[in-house]
Amino acid sequence: MKTTTYKHLLLLFIFGVVGSMTYAQDDLLAELDEGEEQTVYTSATFKGSRIINLQSTELPAEGVGQFIILHRFGSLTEDPLYDLFGLDVASVRLSFDYSIKDYLNVGVGRSSGTKVYDGWVKARLYRQSSGAVNMPVSILYYGSLNVNTTRFPDDGLEHKFGERLSYVNQIIVGRKFSESFSMELVPTVVHFNTRQTREQPNTIFGLGVGGRIKLTNRVAITADYMLQAPRNTRLVDGVETAYNNSFSIGVDIETGGHVFQLHLTNSQSISDPYWMTQTPGNWFEGDIFFGFNISRVFTLKKPKRIESPAW
Amino acid sequence: MKPFKFLLALLLIGFASTQVSAQRMMTREGYIKFFSSTAVEDIEAASNQASSVLEKNTGKIAFQVLMTSFSFEKALMQEHFNENYVESETYPKATFAGQIEDLSKVDFETEGTYNVTIKGTLTVHGVAQERTVSATIKVEGENVLLETVFKVKPADHDIEIPSVVRDNIARELEVTVKAKYAPLNR
Repeated sequence: MKTTTYKHLLLLFIFGVVGSMTYAQDDLLAELDEGEEQTVYTSATFKGSRIINLQSTELPAEGVGQFIILHRFGSLTEDPLYDLFGLDVASVRLSFDYSIKDYLNVGVGRSSGTKVYDGWVKARLYRQSSGAVNMPVSILYYGSLNVNTTRFPDDGLEHKFGERLSYVNQIIVGRKFSESFSMELVPTVVHFNTRQTREQPNTIFGLGVGGRIKLTNRVAITADYMLQAPRNTRLVDGVETAYNNSFSIGVDIETGGHVFQLHLTNSQSISDPYWMTQTPGNWFEGDIFFGFNISRVFTLKKPKRIESPAW
Repeated sequence: MKPFKFLLALLLIGFASTQVSAQRMMTREGYIKFFSSTAVEDIEAASNQASSVLEKNTGKIAFQVLMTSFSFEKALMQEHFNENYVESETYPKATFAGQIEDLSKVDFETEGTYNVTIKGTLTVHGVAQERTVSATIKVEGENVLLETVFKVKPADHDIEIPSVVRDNIARELEVTVKAKYAPLNR
């Protein structure tokens, strides 16, 4: 009786040990997964650093400079054949930015129309990630200082430089929900040092909404919207009239070092404070402008090379 | 008498199983580089975060590396690599699981360099391919150094190269692997 018990126990032990041994051997790969879990950062939530007009959660990597040419043609529907669908009355913006760090981007730009020069800072505070560090969204700050350089009116009044200034402050909260769908919400404050009418607010609050649906690895449909609350106003024939909210819809096409963004928008202005709060155009009345952004990046400082081990 | 035999057996088994784990060698800092050379440009990317286990007694070997750990000369290349080519979000890792075919040639107790053949399954972009590669194993003190260079065709792993950059990316990439294993203690 005793002998059989021992034998059974012995067999059990052997099976147990041998079993665990073979399991472990066949599963070397699984073993590699053990130990420290790594953090996987989400990348390319959007293709460009702008969705269309709205800043996206993206910024170029450290040491990378970016040149963007932005065009907004005249109205598609206003005297379309005479102006070739607005081609003759295009507004243009040129901008150059540089990422000092992976999380810190600075830039300068110049937009036609109100002849605005601007400088900005864009900083990533949190980056969406999974794994060891789980962060559901990316959070960025974007702030720009804008100088309207149109000549002061010859009205006999004394004008100061400060009147030319306007400021934009935004918090960008974005998430890549899946490989094909990304979205962001952008609480926004725009402040103008001068107003054009007595009723017009100096400070306008807004909520930007932007999104992207990827069709293929290189083509995506994008849209952005700026909801003003309350809406900025201007005088039309002596009547205080609200501006419209900006809405744009477009296509991103990526080829190597370029991103082409083609879009339709009701904002002809490209300068931050103006497209956000001074969009007279109305989609439903045919005030639709065709535009494009083309970006090109330059690696000015190469990333640190991972060297082959010395042995 | 019987209990003695039993105890002896237990001891032997216990000893054998500790032996097995002492046969395990590991690294989490393996170096993997791939290199593409065309008339237009040379592109190189490397990672020093590959993890690998080598089992001395069985010759079993396994590698894995996060695709996002590869660093390129240009950040945009890295983004395109992850986003458009290997689709890292869907297929985060590349793995290799195989076996040293001629393990008998290697004496892990004696310092020296041994040329071996490793046969196994390379999985990149979710596509598994059977591969046989030649490698050099160097025994150095308690460490084991492994080095191998082999070619991989992106097309074999269903990695599509669009026509605009077809002249910039080689049909066949050269992959270099260097791993310095230390005994795994636990």
